[in-house]
Amino acid sequence: MGEPQATAVAERPKLTFIQKCKTRRGQQIICTIAFLVIPLLLLFVFTYLPFFKMVQFSFYDRDYLKVRKFVGLKNYLDVFSRDDCFQALKLSLYYMVGSAVQIALALLFATILSFKVRGSKFFRGALYFPCLICGIAVGFIFKFFLNPGFVLDTLLGWVGVTGTPNWLETEVVNNIVLVACSLWKYIGQNIVLFIGAIASVDPVLYEAADLDGANAWQRFKSIILPSIRTIVVLNLILSVSGALSAFEMPYVVTNGAFGTSTYFVVMNKLAHTDMKVGLASAMAVVLLALILIVTVAQKLVEKYMDYLENRPRDYGVKEAAE
Amino acid sequence: MKKWLSLLLTVAMAVSLLTACGGGGGADAPKVAGADGSSLPAYHTLKVGEDYTDLTAELRIISHRTDLINDGTFAKYAEQFNALYPNIKLNFEGITNYADDMTARISSDDWGDICMVPTTIALPDLGGYFLGLCQVSDIAADYNFASNRAFDGIVYGIPSTGNAQGIVYNSKVLKAAGYSYEDGTLPKTPDAFMQMLKDIKAKTDAIPLYTNFAAGWTMGAWDAYLGGCATADPDWMNITMPQTHDVFADKGDGTGAYAVYKILYDAVKEGLVEPSVTASDWEGCKPMINNGEIGTMVLGSWAVIQMQEAGPNAADIGYMPFPITQPDGKQYASAGADYCFGVNKNCSDDNAIAAMLFIKWFTESSNFAYDQGGVPVLKSQAYPETLKAFDGIALIEDTPAPTELATLQPDVNRESELSLNADNTHVQRVVEAAVNGKETYDDIIAEWNERWNAAVDEYAPK
Repeated sequence: MGEPQATAVAERPKLTFIQKCKTRRGQQIICTIAFLVIPLLLLFVFTYLPFFKMVQFSFYDRDYLKVRKFVGLKNYLDVFSRDDCFQALKLSLYYMVGSAVQIALALLFATILSFKVRGSKFFRGALYFPCLICGIAVGFIFKFFLNPGFVLDTLLGWVGVTGTPNWLETEVVNNIVLVACSLWKYIGQNIVLFIGAIASVDPVLYEAADLDGANAWQRFKSIILPSIRTIVVLNLILSVSGALSAFEMPYVVTNGAFGTSTYFVVMNKLAHTDMKVGLASAMAVVLLALILIVTVAQKLVEKYMDYLENRPRDYGVKEAAE
Repeated sequence: MKKWLSLLLTVAMAVSLLTACGGGGGADAPKVAGADGSSLPAYHTLKVGEDYTDLTAELRIISHRTDLINDGTFAKYAEQFNALYPNIKLNFEGITNYADDMTARISSDDWGDICMVPTTIALPDLGGYFLGLCQVSDIAADYNFASNRAFDGIVYGIPSTGNAQGIVYNSKVLKAAGYSYEDGTLPKTPDAFMQMLKDIKAKTDAIPLYTNFAAGWTMGAWDAYLGGCATADPDWMNITMPQTHDVFADKGDGTGAYAVYKILYDAVKEGLVEPSVTASDWEGCKPMINNGEIGTMVLGSWAVIQMQEAGPNAADIGYMPFPITQPDGKQYASAGADYCFGVNKNCSDDNAIAAMLFIKWFTESSNFAYDQGGVPVLKSQAYPETLKAFDGIALIEDTPAPTELATLQPDVNRESELSLNADNTHVQRVVEAAVNGKETYDDIIAEWNERWNAAVDEYAPK
């Protein structure tokens, strides 16, 4: 679409709208607009519109059918003054610690599996497999796995461990167990992302490192980690927001009983059985704000790390030049 | 050409829809059989087997009991009915996802002649879809649950069978512990019930009370005892309770909501339930109680038939009233109608009469409720063997709230976040407290009262 075409158009007589549409240029514009409009429309109708509606709902006392009255910020004040909401957020700490462990483990597995290891294809598949199972099914698997006298206790019994706590009824223990279940389910996703990122590292660097006599840990610390830092940060953000909105495991395995009721479980009950749609919407908005804050904080940390990293590198270059 | 064809088809369909239901499509004013100006006789005046014996009609009957249609049970009833009315042909149709599908279908006028009235249709709207069969006062003396699907004194639905609220038990286990219906030793108070659980634990290997904690919804069954069983007051659930403070407080005489959940709390606290409540299993409990590994379970009478069919010992399954005795020395039981039969407002007069005849025959002469192990629809009918312990016990059906208070109970219920009869979290909490000892029963009751009182203050008329 360079110059010649433009001059050709200018020479032609004025076209009607329909004729314009039929030209090559017109068709291109129509296609471009259609391809933009349809996804944007879908995005708007199914994401932004419901979101704005939710924000609007959060200022009303309402159930599913009837708007009762505008209550201003009352729902938000309730979220912050109720015990159960913030009690539930405390549980997110378990899941955050869990997600840190999850990222670390995923990095370990991804690094090992990125190099020539016997059976690495099998292990990649095996570790990713839980991601393919529906979360509800995983919940049921663990429900039966963890019940007293079922699989886990039997296995532990074989190796001589007895007197285990009731995994689902003893508080603290049950939350740790649920976090472990979530970790098992979601770690595959992190591993796949990390393996992809590690594959993009220039192999020349490894060779150079080998020549310099770097061991595996140094290679990981100085080559792999800096190269895939963006992906690690992305995964951290995803895991933290996942931790704040943990739902499947506590809902399916324990139904929120015995102190495992996370923020989402509380929100679900308020919205669907108690029909306090306004309050639940406010909870969702608060959660969104929290996730935004965490994300921004992580981005800032990343920037700061960039800054720190760039300084020594300049220094290093100078040193090498000297 | 195509356009004309489709237009023609549309018109043809519209016309056939309009004509199929003669006299249909009228205003929303209820149509009541036997009322002034109605061409139909009232339901209660029909004499089955004598009136209209040469009537010819074909009825489409829609039911939620797909099991009974598939195994030919309904066909057998139809045979018996046709012995009296040979020219009325009955076609049964079953719907698995009944409540949702029927609600959608009922918006067309031509859905059939008889269906089970979906409970999703609010009582004031019944007249828009169903034929008024008679006045409540016409049948209230003879029928249980006559006002279940009624509005403004007009009956729109006749119950197919009834459910009572009590406790499922294995009579062999109870006998081994020294309790039986025959000896009149079934417990009638919470204390006696706790004693029985202890005796079961001491004298048998069975689990005295199975909570079904893990399934969740089964815990919600405990809410069903708050009305008739705990208070003997038909107005309690929908009218009095949402206007009263401290409804959960200890009344000191072993009645009321306090006594209901206290049984659960004490049973868990004293280890009279399954060893780990989170490991309980709903499907697994059925053969267990059938085989005498479980003593009692707190579930509605609908559960009886499932427990009987789960193993070879159907005769061992019994059902007893909830162990609360009112200060007048009597026991009461909450009860309610199962789905009710309703007649399409838009069907022809012949079909409407045939439909009413069938319903009347079905409820009064078919023995359906008895066969299904339900509470009889006619007050004069016998209780089935499993419910024999309920004979002579007054059944309390919750009165629907008057129109001006129609939303009060739902409002207070949801505002308090207890969601009685809708959610099980609060009942789970009683069990949790008993297991881990983090709070006492009275702490829970105090908090529930606080929440309920706040909701009452907000919504109840001053």
